[in-house]
Amino acid sequence: MNGIQKVDTRALQTNRFSKLLSSIGIYAIAALFIVLGVVLQSMGIINNFLTTQNMMNIVDAVALLGIVAVGMAFITYSGHYADLSAPTTIALTGIVSVELLRFGFIPAIMGAVVVGLIIGIINGIVIGKFKANPIIWTLAMSYVSMGVIRFVWVNKQIYPDVITDDPFPVMLFDNIYRFRFFNAISLPLIIMLVLVVVGQFILKRTAFGAQLKLTGSAKRTAKFSGINVELMIALAFIISAFTTTIAGLAITSLSRVGAYYNGAGYDFRAVTAIVIGGMTLAGGRGSIIGVLGGTLVIGLMNNIMTLLGVGTFSQDIIRGAIFILVVGINAKTLRSMGRDDA
Amino acid sequence: MQRLYGVWGGMMRKNKLDKSKLLALGDRFRIYILFGVIFIFMSLFAPRFFNSYNLTTILRTVSMNATIALGFTIVMICGEMDLSIGRTATFAAVIALTLQKKFGYGISVPIAVLAGAGVGLLNGILVAKIKINSFIVTIGTMTILQGATYTITGGNSVSLSGDKVFAISDFLAKPLLPMLPPRVLLTILFVVVFHLFVSNSQWGRNFYMVGGNRTTAWLAGINTDRITITAFILSSTMAAVAGILFAMESSAATLNMGDNSLMYVVSATIIGGTAMSGGKGGILRSVVAVLSLEMLYTGTILFGFGNEVKIFISGLILALVVLYEAYASYKHEKTIGQRAVLLEELAQAKEKI
Amino acid sequence: MKKQVKVVLLAMVLLCLGGLLFAQGEKAVGVTGAGAAANLEASLKVDTSVLKAADGQPLLRLSSELPKIPTRPANPEALPDTDPLRWFDMEYAGWDTKKTNIPASPKDGAIGKRVVMIVHGDHPWTTACSNGAKKVADAYGMDLKILSPNWDLAVQNQMIDQSINERPDMILIIPLDATTAIQQARRINQSGIPFIFFNTLPTAEAMNYAITWTGPDDFGQMRKLAKVFADEMRRRNPGAKELGIAYVQHAPGGSPYFARSYGPLSELAGYAPEVVTLDMQAPGFEADRTMQLVSDWLTRFGPRLKGIFAADDSAQALGIIEALKKAGRDDIVVVAAGNSKIGMDMVTDGSLFAITYQTAEGDGALAVQTAADWFNGKELPNRRDIPQHIITKADVADFYPPQW
Repeated sequence: MNGIQKVDTRALQTNRFSKLLSSIGIYAIAALFIVLGVVLQSMGIINNFLTTQNMMNIVDAVALLGIVAVGMAFITYSGHYADLSAPTTIALTGIVSVELLRFGFIPAIMGAVVVGLIIGIINGIVIGKFKANPIIWTLAMSYVSMGVIRFVWVNKQIYPDVITDDPFPVMLFDNIYRFRFFNAISLPLIIMLVLVVVGQFILKRTAFGAQLKLTGSAKRTAKFSGINVELMIALAFIISAFTTTIAGLAITSLSRVGAYYNGAGYDFRAVTAIVIGGMTLAGGRGSIIGVLGGTLVIGLMNNIMTLLGVGTFSQDIIRGAIFILVVGINAKTLRSMGRDDA
Repeated sequence: MQRLYGVWGGMMRKNKLDKSKLLALGDRFRIYILFGVIFIFMSLFAPRFFNSYNLTTILRTVSMNATIALGFTIVMICGEMDLSIGRTATFAAVIALTLQKKFGYGISVPIAVLAGAGVGLLNGILVAKIKINSFIVTIGTMTILQGATYTITGGNSVSLSGDKVFAISDFLAKPLLPMLPPRVLLTILFVVVFHLFVSNSQWGRNFYMVGGNRTTAWLAGINTDRITITAFILSSTMAAVAGILFAMESSAATLNMGDNSLMYVVSATIIGGTAMSGGKGGILRSVVAVLSLEMLYTGTILFGFGNEVKIFISGLILALVVLYEAYASYKHEKTIGQRAVLLEELAQAKEKI
Repeated sequence: MKKQVKVVLLAMVLLCLGGLLFAQGEKAVGVTGAGAAANLEASLKVDTSVLKAADGQPLLRLSSELPKIPTRPANPEALPDTDPLRWFDMEYAGWDTKKTNIPASPKDGAIGKRVVMIVHGDHPWTTACSNGAKKVADAYGMDLKILSPNWDLAVQNQMIDQSINERPDMILIIPLDATTAIQQARRINQSGIPFIFFNTLPTAEAMNYAITWTGPDDFGQMRKLAKVFADEMRRRNPGAKELGIAYVQHAPGGSPYFARSYGPLSELAGYAPEVVTLDMQAPGFEADRTMQLVSDWLTRFGPRLKGIFAADDSAQALGIIEALKKAGRDDIVVVAAGNSKIGMDMVTDGSLFAITYQTAEGDGALAVQTAADWFNGKELPNRRDIPQHIITKADVADFYPPQW
């Protein structure tokens, strides 16, 4: 994008080491944080860091973020930044599912998925077909769906156990977030891991993934080589809306209330996870495994700061600084390896 | 304007209204037309809209976001994004008021403005030199600024009192000329200066060049990095100035006073016709868009509608504008390179001569 | 392009002139003479004490106990956080003020008066509050208009200006921020329109310009909750030399941030010196973030943590309870500020020990009632507090169905 386009031979050397580094890059940072935690623990500054319970807490806490980030990563991968309508999608699908709980558990889930997919399809068509700017369009979309929520439900928060007298669907709904396999592994965590595995497979092992990569990194080339670029982009937005819907159901289940304010902040938090995870906004780079790593790094960072007793205010400063630092280092290494001219 | 007469002239010569040209005209003056329509509609129908008191209120309310929009538009013209504007406004306001207690406004305001400029410098260097995407950089600085603001104030809002402070607040708020309090006059001054700077100076043209095509700009001998950094500094500085003036008028700064400005200014700038891809847009258009949105919001309040209507309408307008622009470029792309289009463009070029 | 500037400038000048020509403010319509006396008599006959809130509790309740107000220390901010007097300016604001330029009551009755109520933003709480206000306004036949600035300070300022332009008989306002309230108060005061602050306590200086303030005494309520909290921890850990607690705080920037962490903190320093504050964090109002915070606390402090004091009884409390359940720690005492359905459900099932009674409907109702009292010529105190009450499992059933 910058300067004169000249062939950089470094980019053509498929160096095994550089490949390895770029795929495990974020895990090196995660390992760094774990080493930091262990060192602090051995010095007696923090305790119980390296315990199964603490590690489980960390992954549990970021499971919801991971679910949103995995889906949104497809959008970033396709070169379309992010989906700013994620928070309102969470709120809208959540409130719809609670409202439909009166007809039973299955209709509630189906209703939420249908609403989520409609948002995804609209985003996909407008951005894929008509090439609207993704950030502005999803922003507009979030305004419109927020208007709809406020219009229909007039600032109310609706409760599953008030909507229906039947305790069974309420119990099921409550357990979307709370169910634990073997009393230890929570359902959202399993969902996140499944999504990561499936997402990684789709991105790296299927024709769709390869086409999406080309779409993200060189849209024009992709178009002229016969790829249905519009469809690829639309699908990315639909996938994102789908995982956001799952997160919406889980968040609503956790907070036991359908309300317009559920999910606030998940847009920028997901972008943070994705970008820390090594995906660049230029598109076509990074992996879902990397996004998982980014999500885990955020969890680790929060955990260590709380264990250290860092105050809320300083946490913000440190979080922002580490974010810029990690992304800056990532951009610099990619460039020095000639793998990115951005 | 010259081009406008050209189009008019063309229509007169043909002696009939050329539909496509009328459309082109409407497109170019879209935001001014929107402004006029909203203003006339509200004046006619909204209760208590068209009187000097209410119009003063609108101008005072609009001052903050209009000032922020000035710098932000320049960043957008450069093809970049600045998500830290809202938090920068809060940060600078908090600094100005906290330091006022010790040193007075005479020292605290310049320091706060400099602090704002510093944020912009940081953003600019990270974007231009380290080459991190501006969307990412400003999400980061946004988080840092929030922590910094909380740390400075200890979690409480900052307030000032005393006759001297109130005298300044009252001076800023009371109309000096009819309907124009000093704060609004200052905003108008900023608007004029920025408009002349961007549309009439070499620097201003460079912003468009960099945003339109960075490589070409670089080949043309423009220091693209310096232009980008300048854009970010201007954006943060104006956000800081807006925040400080708002805080001075209310003699207090709260910890989230700038948060709502971000999405407001982004929407207004887009509706005004500045494209996110860069190289297109203008200062005046953004300011008129901010003013139009504000009149619309005031109207919804005066009609007695709730916030859901306000949110819905702003979403709808934004969506329509984005859709229209996307559709226009979609159509343009479809027909690009076709013989009929070339002929038409040739004809237009001839008319202009 | 230069012409564009000229056109816009010209338009602005025209706007100014047009505005001047059409400048008109609506004049308040007052009843005078015999009509006023009759109206006053009819207004005084209205009985609002029979009104009920959605939870079946009486809508209007006034605190019978007048607080004992200590003398203000010379410089409260120099005191340590654990000293109750450190928070004097926030806690006792308004009891002792020099009222400035307060309009005199017309004493012509509340019936038919036009009242504008400006709240802070859209929220289920606000909806309940507005419902309460409407009930009292209907009883008096007042014309009540409710405006919501959606948590935006600039919009609230604008709404105040618009209300002044409308010239109602009274403005009721929840200040979005305690400190910016000073300028808001001065503005309304200069226009000569009587106004009452409610719900959120502004700084003492702002109270100089308002007729009065009505609402819940957040600090007092939190001090009460802190005592109940300490008693329960003592009961569960008899003879313990140290009781470690942590605070989940409100969002920074408002008075609840201080009232709901430093209120109990300074109270417990005197009431239960064995209570040790281990940490204070403000994770926001999201259940999952609070859950991570509390899980991390459990890792960090282990058995030392005996109690958690939360600023919000819905999302924050849910996150806390989830984290405790996961770790199997049912020995920890959790109390929270608030009166939501989620909080009451958790008090019912025993996972949350105590919450505070905060009638949303009563809050709005009391503001309108106080306005009516002013029109009726009653003497008003500098502050009108809603009575304080701590809800535990013993009496939680009385507060169903929840107001929001």
